[in-house]
Order: sequence, then C-alpha cells, then structure tokens
Amino acid sequence: MPSLLVVMIFLPALAAVALLLLDPQASAVRARWVALIATVATFFVSWGVAAQYLALPAIESHERGPVHPQLVLRQTWLDLSVAGPVSASGPDSPAIKMEFFLGLDGISLALVLLTTILTISSVLVSWTAIKDRAAEFYACLLILETGLIGVFCSFDILLFYVFFEFTLIPLFFLVGIWGGPLRRYAAGKFFVYTLAGSLITLLGLVSMVVTTVKANPTLVTPFSIPDLAKTLTEHPLPAETQFILFLMIAAGFMVKVPLFPFHTWLPLAHVEAPTAGSILLAGVLLKLGTYGFLRMLLPMLPDACLNTGLPVIGTMASIGIVYGSFCALAQNDIKKLVAYSSVAHLGFCMLGLFALNIEGISGGVLQMINHGLSTGALFCIVGMFYERYHTRQLNELGGLATKLPLLAVAMVFTSFASIGLPGLNGFVGEFLCLAGMFRAGDGIGVLFSALGALGVVLGAWYLLGVLQHAFFGAVKVPAESHGHDHESVTDLNAREVVALAPLLTLCLLLGLFPQPLLNLIRPDVEAVASLYEMKAVKATAVVNEPLKHSPSVALGSEVRP
Amino acid sequence: MTDWLQENVLWLIPAAPLLACLWIVLVGHVIRRQYAHRPLVIGLAVALVASLYLLTVVVPHGFGHEHEPSHSVVTTVYQWIQIGTIDIPVKLRADAMSALMLTMVTSVSLLVAIFASSYMKGDPGYPRFFAAMALFVFSMCMLVLAGNFLLLFVFWEAVGLCSYLLIGFWFHKPSAAAAAKKAFVVNRIGDFGFILAIFLIWQTFGTLDFQTLFESPQRIAEVLKSQPEMFHWICLLLFVGAVGKSAQFPLQVWLPDAMEGPTPVSALIHAATMVTAGVYLVARCTPFFVHAPQVQMIVAGIGAATALIAAITALTQYDLKRVLAYSTVSQLGYMFMALGAAGGGAELAVPAVTFAMFHMFTHAFFKAVLFLSAGSVMHAMGDVIDMRRFSGLRKALPITHWTFLAGALALAGVPLLSGFWSKDEILAVLAAASRGSEHGGFYSVILGIALLTSLMTAFYTFRAYFMTFWGDEKFPEEAGHHPHDAPPAMAGPLAILAGAALVVGLISGPTHLYAHYLHHTPGFPEGHEFPMDWLMMGVSSVLAIGGIGVAYLMYVRSPKTAENLKNRLPIPFLVSNEGLFIDWCGYKFIASPLRGFAKVCELFDRWVIDTLVDCVGFIPALFGSVLRPIQNGMVQNYAMVMMIGLLVCLITVLRALAVTTSGTM
Repeated sequence: MPSLLVVMIFLPALAAVALLLLDPQASAVRARWVALIATVATFFVSWGVAAQYLALPAIESHERGPVHPQLVLRQTWLDLSVAGPVSASGPDSPAIKMEFFLGLDGISLALVLLTTILTISSVLVSWTAIKDRAAEFYACLLILETGLIGVFCSFDILLFYVFFEFTLIPLFFLVGIWGGPLRRYAAGKFFVYTLAGSLITLLGLVSMVVTTVKANPTLVTPFSIPDLAKTLTEHPLPAETQFILFLMIAAGFMVKVPLFPFHTWLPLAHVEAPTAGSILLAGVLLKLGTYGFLRMLLPMLPDACLNTGLPVIGTMASIGIVYGSFCALAQNDIKKLVAYSSVAHLGFCMLGLFALNIEGISGGVLQMINHGLSTGALFCIVGMFYERYHTRQLNELGGLATKLPLLAVAMVFTSFASIGLPGLNGFVGEFLCLAGMFRAGDGIGVLFSALGALGVVLGAWYLLGVLQHAFFGAVKVPAESHGHDHESVTDLNAREVVALAPLLTLCLLLGLFPQPLLNLIRPDVEAVASLYEMKAVKATAVVNEPLKHSPSVALGSEVRP
Repeated sequence: MTDWLQENVLWLIPAAPLLACLWIVLVGHVIRRQYAHRPLVIGLAVALVASLYLLTVVVPHGFGHEHEPSHSVVTTVYQWIQIGTIDIPVKLRADAMSALMLTMVTSVSLLVAIFASSYMKGDPGYPRFFAAMALFVFSMCMLVLAGNFLLLFVFWEAVGLCSYLLIGFWFHKPSAAAAAKKAFVVNRIGDFGFILAIFLIWQTFGTLDFQTLFESPQRIAEVLKSQPEMFHWICLLLFVGAVGKSAQFPLQVWLPDAMEGPTPVSALIHAATMVTAGVYLVARCTPFFVHAPQVQMIVAGIGAATALIAAITALTQYDLKRVLAYSTVSQLGYMFMALGAAGGGAELAVPAVTFAMFHMFTHAFFKAVLFLSAGSVMHAMGDVIDMRRFSGLRKALPITHWTFLAGALALAGVPLLSGFWSKDEILAVLAAASRGSEHGGFYSVILGIALLTSLMTAFYTFRAYFMTFWGDEKFPEEAGHHPHDAPPAMAGPLAILAGAALVVGLISGPTHLYAHYLHHTPGFPEGHEFPMDWLMMGVSSVLAIGGIGVAYLMYVRSPKTAENLKNRLPIPFLVSNEGLFIDWCGYKFIASPLRGFAKVCELFDRWVIDTLVDCVGFIPALFGSVLRPIQNGMVQNYAMVMMIGLLVCLITVLRALAVTTSGTM
C-alpha cells in the first residue's frame, strides 16, 4: 500500500490525467465536479497525513540535523556507486546516489495544508468563470497542485528542483490560455524570467553538491537535503565559496519570491491570470521562493546568509516593502494593487527569514501562510466582483457595500487581515518578522525593521483606499455593461461563500490562536536558528580564513587534470 | 460568591461586552433587529458592576492615606504567542489605575448605549451599530486590562478598528468613508512609533510583561546604569504612539473629521474613552518616563501646542460638534501638559500623573454630556448641526438645555464643578514645575499657555451655548414645526451624566480620594501630599468667569459684535476657522507629495525596471538576429560556405603536410 504522502502528492495529477484521457471535451459541469471532488479528497488526505505526522513522537534536538523530515520515503533513483568501488573511481567521480526522497517536516506540512485549502477555493471561484476548455483548465489546476505539494514534500535536491520547475508548466497554460488580453506576453515573461533565474539556481545547487562531495568524499547521498545540511553543519564550506554559491542559488529564488528589483513579472502575471491562477500564484507559488531560501540556503550556507544574506536580502526586502507599497498606492487596477501588496508582504517574509533567529524565521513561515490566506482571499474577492461588473478599475466602481453587503463584509475583513490588524493572522507574522529583524545584525536590523513598520502604515493607506473608493461612498457602476445587466447583480451565492469562508475563518483562528501553528514549526525553526546562535557566540573568535577552495562550477570544469 | 467573584471579576469585565457583540452579530442581526441594543446594555451593566467591585479587589485596604505598595490582580487567559524569547500570554492585569479607568469606561459607555438605543432608532444599520459598539467596549476594557505591551498594542489597534467602523458607519456618505480612512491611517502613523517602542523594550529588557517591567525597580536600575539613553528612545517612541491615538499635534487632524460618525460614537470613542488611551499609556509607563525628563518636556510642549492650537480653532467654528471636537483635542493637550509637568522635578511625578488621570476622568463625564446634548440637538433639528441655522432652543429643548449647560459650566471650569477641580490641579502642578530651578522658564511658558487656553475654553464653550440656546427662537426647515426634546431613553443618561459632570470633581479636589486611590498603583514613585494652590484657583476662576462673560457680551448682549469682529479681522478669522491650516498643510505637503511619489514609483517600475528586464530578455533575440542571416536556407550560400570551409581545410592540411615534409627532409 502506498503511503498517504504519495497518495496526497499524486492524487490530483491522477484526477487530471483521468479527466483528460477519458474525455477531453467533457462538459464544464462534469470537469468542475471532478476537480472539486479530487481537491476535496486531496484535502482530506492531507489532513490524514497531518494526523500521521502529529502522532509521531517528538525528536530530541540533539538527535536531529538542521533539516529533519519525517514520514520518510526513500528510493534510490540513480546510484553512481554501482559503477565501481570508491577508491578506484577517484575523487572526480564520487560514489553518489540520487534519490526519490519524500518526507515532511512541520514547515512543509503547514505549506501543504495551505496548498490543499487554497486549491479548493480556486476550483470554486472558477466554477462559472471558466466555460471554454474546462476539462483542460481543471486538469492544469490539478497538475499544478501536484507540483506544489511535491515541492514541499521533496527532500532531495534534484527532486525538489524537478517539482519546482514543473509548477511553471501548468501555470504557464493557465495564464496563457485562460488569461486576460495580454495573456501571451504575460505568460511568456513569467515563464522565461523565472526559468532563467532557476537555471542559475540549479547551477548553484549542483556546484554546492559537487563542492561538498569533493570536501567530504564519504558523503554518499549529497543530494539529500537533510544529509547535505548535516554535513555542511559539521564541515562548513569556506566563506568565499559560500558567498558565490549563495548568490547563485539565491538568484532563482529572488525572482520567484519576488524581491525588489526582480518583481516586475508578478503584477503583469497577476493582472492577466484567471482568478484561480492568481490565487495559487500568490498563495503558494511565491512561497516556493521563500521556502527555497529557508530550505536550501539557511541551513546550508550559514556564513553567507549571515554576512551577505542579512544585509543584501534585508536591503532588498525592506526597499521592496516600501517601494511595493508605494506602487500599490498608485494603482487604479485593484488586482494590480493586490499584486504589488504581495511584493510588500513577501518583503516582510524575507525580513523575517533573514533575521536568522527563532522569532524572525518562525515569523517568516507564519507570514508565508498568512499571506497565502489573506491574499488568496483578496484575489477571490476581486475575481468575484470582476465576474459581476467586468471591471477592476477603482475609478469605475463605488458603493459596492450598498449593493453587495456580504461581499463588502468579506472585503473589509480580508483587508484588515492583510494590513496586519492584531487579532487577525497578518499581525502575528509581521510582528515576529519585524521583531526578529529588530534584534538582528547589529543595528542595521533596526533600520530594516523600521522601514518594514513604515510599510505597515502604507499598507493601511492603500487597502483602505480601495475600501473607500470601491466599496463605500455613493453607488457607481461601470458605464460600459459588456452585455450584462448591472442592475440584476446579486450578492454572494452559497458557492462563493463556501469558497471564502474557510480562508476567512483561518485568518481569524490563526490570529487568535497562532500557537498550534508555531508549535508545529518550532522544532524545525529552532534547528535552523541554532546554527546562527552558535555563530553569534563564536563570532568574536572567528578570523577570516584565506581562500582554500573556489566553488567548482558544475559539470564541466571538473575534468581538467 | 465573593470568592468566586474575586477570582473571576477580571475576565468578566471584558467578557460581558464581547458576548454581547457575538450575540448581536450571530443572532441579533437576524431576528428582533430593533432590540439589538439589549444585549449590549445588559453586558455593560454587568461590566460596570464588576468594575465597581474590582475597585475594592485591587485595593483591599480602601481609600486610606497609607500608601503601602499594593499588588496587582492578574489572570492569564491563554498562551497567545510563545516562540524564542517572545512570550506573550493573553494576560489580564488590574491595578488601581486600571480599575479607575475601567469604572469610567464602563459607566460612560453604559449611559451612551442607553442613549443610542433611542438615538439610532430606525437606522437600517441598527444592529451593526451596537455590534461595533460592543466590540469597542470590549477592546477598550482589554486595552486597560492588558498585562503586557503587545496585548496593549493589540487592543490599541482594535479600538482603532472600531473607531474606523463607527466613523464610517454611514459608509454611503463619501465624507464618512474618507474620514474613517483618515482616522485609521493617521493613527497608524502613531502606531508605527508604538511598535518600534515595543521592539526596543523587548530588546532592552527581554520581556514585555508589565508586572516584570514596572514592579521590579532593580531591573530598571540595571538598564539605567548600562544604557540610560535607552529610556529616552523608548519614551519618545511610546509618546509618538500616544500622539496618534490622543490626537495631539501634529497628528490631531483626524479627530475633527471623525465627527462624521453618529453622535453617540463621538461622545464615547472620540471624547470620553478611546482618545484618552494615549494619556493612559503615558501614565501607565510612568516608571519609564521618570527617567527621561527631556521627553517629559517634549510631552508638555506638544500638549501645550495642541491645547493652544485647538482652542484657537474652536473659537470660530460654526459646527457644534466640531467645537466640541476641538475642545476635546484641547483638553487632551491639557492632560499631556500635566503629564509633562513631571519633568520639572522628581517629586512632581506622582501629582502630575494623578492630575492628568483625574482630568481624564472628569473630562469623560462632562464631555460625554456635552456631546450627547449636541446629539439631542441634532436629533431635534433634523440632523442639522450648523449653529447659524438654529438658535434660542432653550424653550423648545429644556432638558437638553440644562444638561448642556451643566457640561459647559464644568468644561469652562466654573468654581466647585468637576472641571474646575481637575483643571485647577493641573495648573497647580504646572505652577510648581515653573518654580523649579532647572526648567522653570520652560514650564512658565507652558503655564502661561495653559492659562490662556483656559480663558479661551470658557469663551468658546459659552459661545456655542449662547448661539444654540439663546437669542431668537429659530429652527431649520429639516426640523419640522415642533422639535421634540429628548425622549426618556435619551434624557435619563443625559441627566445622570450632567449630574456627574457637576459633582464628580469632589472626589479629588477637596477630598483627595482619587489621588489616594491612584497611589496604590504598583511601580509609582513615592509621592507626598500636594498642597492646594489657592493662587491658581483664584486665577482660573477669574479666567473661567471672564471667558463666559465675554461670550455673554458678544453673543447675547450685542449679537452684532461677533459679526463685526469677523468682518473687521478677516485673516485671523480665516486662520482660526481653518485650524491654522494644519490639515491643509498635511494634505498639501505630506499626503499629496507622497501620492506623487507613488505615481513616480509606479512609472519607474513600468518604464525603468520592467524595460530593463525586457532589454535583458532581448539579448538572446539580438544574438539570434546576428546569426540569423547565415541560416537563410539558400543552397548556393551553403554551398559557397562549404567550399570556403573545404578550401580552408585543404590549405591547412597542405601547409601542415608541407611543414612535416620539410621537417623530415
């Protein structure tokens, strides 16, 4: 019997395959029901996995490395050691194995649950919006879900990378086929930009593995993230090597997050994407970037993260917060405004992660979840009134609260969650991120933190501006009717309420009771943060070592005699 | 029963309004909408009784003169955030200061709720109003009861949310929607300082818990020894938070606009309770502020500036509610002046805080009655609030007239009424500070401003009173033919508040009950009896009566004087009427440039950053376009290139052969 973990990952893909193979011309009604059932089933399976995970006994902190997945499923995929004994093959062709390595830790479990919840909502909001090629649309959505869950469950670098890149394909089609007027340009740009970044990341990851294996020939499974992290903790790479590797690996993740100034693909992709695409793009896909930082860089290259990452990423993130907020303030298109607010929110997340202490990193993880929920809900709502009025322009709308009270209540609630009102989810994450950053980095953290706090002020300004102009005031409907009667527009129906309710409920619950989530991620966050606490103690004694190894550029330069 | 109550009274106070809120949202919104006020009134009555009981729990020895260090009552509800070194339980903590504040909050809000049940009758959003109000009272109680800085911040923002929801209650009015947003955003600027202060406290002390911070002097002493400048930063940033919430210069711009909300809201949130949270914060952090005398001088300076600016503005307003709003800002400035007076000398710390808190206490009652009376006027006048459109209402609205008069007399500081006692004590402590050797000059100026403001207060209050209730009887057409005076549900609370406005001052002025009680707050420095200042009492009485007299002369004796004065001095009138153009400057020099900057950012993003990205994306295409002509698909070309290649190969081979053969030869 396959483990639940595997079922959870591949169930949506199976459903997608079934949908396409059985009847690609299936009616929209059948396609959406299949998709709904598949996503709900995946959701329940993910809760089963969560129950399994929570039932496991806690691990003592000295027994674990910086990354410690559980519910592990390891299959050797490619074994280079079969070719010959280690001694005979020499240092240039080490005996390494590549694996199909699945697992879960607290952080990835939280993100998996977020994914399964958001996918249900995105199926529900597409219910009537998608009429053409519905079977293919829902198949893309389901395949995307598989890719996303797969990233969070992979603990082998190559497998991680495969899933990481794989997510681009269904989203490319979602944007490129069912998107707005500029969909081709947007899809192409999104695809090429993130792919170009990720290729540098791949180069960096492989270089890191090769460099580590050269230094530690006994490491048989260097592609396994836990093993690699453990080895690198015990035998860290020289600082200069770490620096170069850090820049390479960070490249793709920086585009994905996206950090200022690599963010311009995001507003475009959001504006053109269908609602479901936007929800998953903002809610989960961006988290692949932050998750990559957390998984690949923080435990592997601590010196570089501390010496380079903190000032550089901190600067980019805090500029991103302020700059993204200002860009959002100038928008007339609500969807674009929310997209820019994502740039700002992800900036908080990065500030937290690169605070490199327990408070900051756990704040960063919380912020990933919170942003997924609140921004996901915001995109849902934007999609809902777009479906009614066929416009997202602030200056064409007004007084929606009078006509659509339920939608307005949801919007007010979500806006306050998004601007970090205490008691709702956004606040806890933002507070921990900024508090962690405040303590980090000898004074420079205070500056980043203050800039971040400024972003909170601006956040209130632009989102409440949306409420003021579109939802309050005198009723105003767009002049152009697009063949629809604006008089007959009705408030949320049951399906839309069901799509929104779980997200809003979670926003409230996580704001009031964040502790269960914090407990879930605590062991994993503490393990990563402890790397840096040791650094802080040792920092006074450490002298810069001279350059010993330059990083081996992957695949190529190795063969020179 | 008493044992149970003693242990549970703490959570009962916020729980009652919270339950009321939940009930209204879940049930009252759907059925029996016209009775949605009942759960709130019941909940607030419970909370009031519990608060009164709490007064005795916190200070078991009563109101005696002995100032033995008293304890605080603490309950932990649940663990909210606990990760790393951050440990934030939802913890309720009450001491003498919070008990007094709670009594004020619950009593005023109970009366306002009863008033509103009649005032809001027939509004389509009736249940929504009471749900938001219940949420507000819950948040305000939690703000007062918060056991650590972060929890205080949580409810600090939560009251801001309620204020947002209630200012924007009539959201279909664009002005209300704009005012709500303005209030929230301006408050957020203050919160920016507050949250940084919280980070700084956490970093300096390693905890945010009030009990640990305020009740252990040795900890403060340690920090004082190692990083004394820290206290200045912490206090300054905390004060930034207070400036936002309590509408002090330069963030006072949101409060007058907040009058867009229903009048009971203005009475409760924007006069009696929420806006005093800043005063409460500074008073609560007295153990920090005593170590930062420079910041206390800033507090006094900002307070004085605010009091003066707001008083000047109030002189010429025609909107009755705006007069009261500016007066609130001005009185809040008074409270901050009092708090800042502690910078004049260490021995002044306790009287300064006591009198500031006492003025807040009396102000809550007399300002609430003034606002509610204004609401009653509005109710009778068909929502017209411009004083030029009605006059001589004292016969048509006798109850409202008397209650307004009581509030106005108290606000003006007429001897023996509540405002007199509290204001007089502030003047006395300022006078004491001005006699100090170190900063005497500074505090003399502050005292002068306080006296001037007190004169203006009496004048503008009675200007509003005479314009509304005296002169020829005149109604606007919106009022119909027979304006009705307050119905019983409105008259009752008005009468009670008016009574309180008259007599509540007695618990401090002559009896010192309030001061003795407040001394039980743990963490307060040791204080001694503060003598009555007879000189200041005399001066302030003269000013109050003088101000009333001038108003009487100008608006009753010869009503033409005011109009003539206005025409004679158009520029000073305009400056006053526009609030010294501070709001205008804010829009012109802060909001608009920031919006412009946002526009620039947006264009920069689109045309610079994105274009750069596109340029980079163009590089491969450029390469392609260089190489493309070669792959043109013409066989002749390929053949020619092939020939050239062959030739090159041939020549190379031949040359190589030539070299080798010549080599071997």
